Amino acid sequence: MRKFYLSALAVCVVLLGVTAAALAQQKTLTVLCTPQEDWCVAMTQAFEAETGIKTSYVRLSSGEALARIRASKDAPEFSVWWGGPVDAFIAANEEGLLEPYQSPNAAALPDQYKDANGVWAGVYVGALGFCSNVNVLNELGVEPPTSWADLLDPRLKGNVAMAHPATSGTAFTTFWTIVTLEADKLEAAEAGKGYDADGMPTAAAVDKAFEYFAQLHQNVLQYTRSGAAPGTLAGRGEIGVAIIFSHDCTKLQVEGFKDVLTTTFPAEGTGYEIGGMALIKNAPEMEAAKLWFDWALTAKTQEIGPMVNSLQLPTNPDAAVSELSVKLAELTVVNYNFQAAGKSRNAIVERFEREIAPRPTN
Amino acid sequence: MQNFALQRQVNQFRRIFQDPVLAIALLGVSLFVFILILLPLFSVIGESLSPKNAPLFQRYLTEPIYQNIILNTLVLGVLTAAVSTAVGFLFAFVQVKLDVPFKRLMHILALIPIISPPFAVATAIIVLFGRNGVITRGVFGVRFDIYGLFGLTLALSLSLFTVAYLTLRGMMQALDPALDEAATNLGAGKWRVFRTVTLPMLLPGIASAFLLVFVEAIADLGNPLVLGGNFEVLATRIYISIIGLYDTSSAAVFSLILLVPSLLVFILQNYIISRSNVVSVTGKPSGTPQYIHAPLVRWTLFGLCMAICLLIALIYGTIVLGAFVEVLGVNNNFTLRHFDFVLNGLGSKAMWDTTRLSIISTPVAGLLGMLIAFLVVRKEFFGRAALDFATMLGIAVPGTIIGIGFLLVFNTPTVWELPFFGPVTVLPKLTGGQAMFGGALAIVIVYVIRSVPTALRAGVAALTQIDPAIEEASVSLGADNARTFRRITLPLIRPALLASLIFAFARSMTTISAIVFLTTPQTRIMTQQILNEVENVRYGNAFAYCVILILIVLTAIGVLYLGVGSTTGAERAFQGGAR
Repeated sequence: MRKFYLSALAVCVVLLGVTAAALAQQKTLTVLCTPQEDWCVAMTQAFEAETGIKTSYVRLSSGEALARIRASKDAPEFSVWWGGPVDAFIAANEEGLLEPYQSPNAAALPDQYKDANGVWAGVYVGALGFCSNVNVLNELGVEPPTSWADLLDPRLKGNVAMAHPATSGTAFTTFWTIVTLEADKLEAAEAGKGYDADGMPTAAAVDKAFEYFAQLHQNVLQYTRSGAAPGTLAGRGEIGVAIIFSHDCTKLQVEGFKDVLTTTFPAEGTGYEIGGMALIKNAPEMEAAKLWFDWALTAKTQEIGPMVNSLQLPTNPDAAVSELSVKLAELTVVNYNFQAAGKSRNAIVERFEREIAPRPTN
Repeated sequence: MQNFALQRQVNQFRRIFQDPVLAIALLGVSLFVFILILLPLFSVIGESLSPKNAPLFQRYLTEPIYQNIILNTLVLGVLTAAVSTAVGFLFAFVQVKLDVPFKRLMHILALIPIISPPFAVATAIIVLFGRNGVITRGVFGVRFDIYGLFGLTLALSLSLFTVAYLTLRGMMQALDPALDEAATNLGAGKWRVFRTVTLPMLLPGIASAFLLVFVEAIADLGNPLVLGGNFEVLATRIYISIIGLYDTSSAAVFSLILLVPSLLVFILQNYIISRSNVVSVTGKPSGTPQYIHAPLVRWTLFGLCMAICLLIALIYGTIVLGAFVEVLGVNNNFTLRHFDFVLNGLGSKAMWDTTRLSIISTPVAGLLGMLIAFLVVRKEFFGRAALDFATMLGIAVPGTIIGIGFLLVFNTPTVWELPFFGPVTVLPKLTGGQAMFGGALAIVIVYVIRSVPTALRAGVAALTQIDPAIEEASVSLGADNARTFRRITLPLIRPALLASLIFAFARSMTTISAIVFLTTPQTRIMTQQILNEVENVRYGNAFAYCVILILIVLTAIGVLYLGVGSTTGAERAFQGGAR
């Protein structure tokens, strides 16, 4: 027994030594990466190959990323934050965690895909859709939904899933899409009813949206943690319809759910996300980070995603589009105001938690 | 009167400090608990105590929505603890008291659930028993709703009953058969012996297992996230507050509320242990254990055990199968591409790093647990129960809170302003890429504080069974405290040590929620890779990771059995020395 302890101790010392030696590293650029891990790998490798700057990443979901940036703000671990919905970037900026940067390459981007003050720039775009399991819907005798109202069909009870707006940017995008649609309706009925002077949707529009989600709640099986998870539930036949980003549904089809799933879009208009990118305030390796920022906006870089089955649309209009991608131009999209969405997020999420999620379903 | 009490406490400390080794041990353990557990926790939870948070407490404790969540948490905890302890007891009883076939197999199957990679068991349960489950839908043709209290209790009990099993099995084996014989000779039937002799003797073990399972169940995050449905518990609420609402204040308040039931169960457990005298390892010769032969009892219990074994085999079989097919239950074509992805892709480094760090943390956690158990059970000093409970906090608090606490406290060097010495750097920067060992040290520490509680409980349960006279004899023969601990106590509680080492390794390999905040590009952790794959809905890859993780842990268990010895090894010969 004593021999065992001694050898165990020796193993520990050696291991610690090995770890320490491996980590006596040179300076590297550390990227906080939010999209799918393959994409993170492909991006960092490409950047390293092109610039010779050693680049590494940590992959975290956007909520975790923000929590971690905040907790380590006195000595930031990351230099640049790449990917994930811009709502989180806007929230981070309001807490003063980001460093504005006017990249020369941002000029190529359409105005709606970048922040006017250079706080963030968009690196990809994705649209919301309905990802339906054809078998389940056949059994229920329901057609794949083509409008937001279709989701309220009582036959779909317990057969709809979306992520929780508190943990998922996807779900919050869904919510804000409805807010925007309701605001448009109110505005159409009477000018000034739907939007206030600053272009913010009015409280009445938000109330209407809550009414919609209270009804939808009766059909929702579960609010999942991650944005793409409802798609798997649909693929497995646990539910009929998932509200997710359409590229996530396409990816599922590619990953093995080919004949089971189908993607449809709401006719009255759908929401979309912009994948953001920003520099972290007081971060190390700022020059390298800026280089990454410029590089990530080029057309060539934005063509990396499709190679690893990440089918979001590029924000750089010169980048080639994969034929599997949904084309934003062919869809009816709502007039999504990211600034307003970011400002309202906390209040909405908290109210959703209070009023919608805990409700009993009957 | 008060003076007298104070005098007694001073005397207790004087006695401890007469032995330098003991004093250093106590000081070291206290520093460990204070700096590495209490400080990070306080940095997050401490905030909730400020008066501005009083309205939050008010709201959370009085509004029906939140009362409901608190109630859910309690119900889940009590139910899981009761089921796990009962199942653990059943397995231990069958192993020790019954002569039935397949005992070895049952033992191994009962050990497997300690390796529950995050989300794997819950996901497998959905595949098997979900609304479109292979069994519920495929065999019985029903659309069964597994989401909610039932599914959660099932998943958690399956993952946690092993703690109860190992603790109780060790205790049952150590029971002195002479007691049974005495009772039988006095005319008691088997049932009466069981009820009035065996059961009371095992009470501390049962209480200890119940406490541990309860505390773990209410702090668990992975299962409620996947299987909770609309059944909300405090742990998910805390997670959502931090990750979704960016609101640490309410998370801190919820965490504090979560600690109250843990504290209550802890006090109850201490009360039960202090009330019962269950010493059964006395060093004196004892009789031969007797099996129970009544066929009805024997085969009913055996059947129950086998049914549970079948369930475990099904669930882990699903995980293994899922790693080898395209998409389990949807496209069942054989493929090796998931393993290709894990072994040749992103996973191989994570595999190495995680194993390496777990190997470092395992012996530390195991021995530390035994040491704290020794101090808590055998030594009298002020703040004993506080030390015990503070160590338990490592598991009683959701990992998210610990992770953030670590980042807040250790992201800059820890410097204390001491009188006379001036500022002293107690610890260097531990977290983040530029930290010591690329942040690996912080991860090892988190592994240790997450696994010490299990080791501590196992040690406490084992030590209460051992007659202090054996150690006293050693001391009066001239051995000091350190020698007595090493040569007498440790060998006697070897089954508990072995169990804790196994748990520590398995726990380290599967810890997730605290680690999310501590991984760096230099240290990749397998559980986080699993989480990434789950988030990207590539369950095949996640299952392949789990299979590899299970293989690593099983190998480690094998090595530990060989190295530390099983319960059939030296110490049994010691116990039954005169047999």
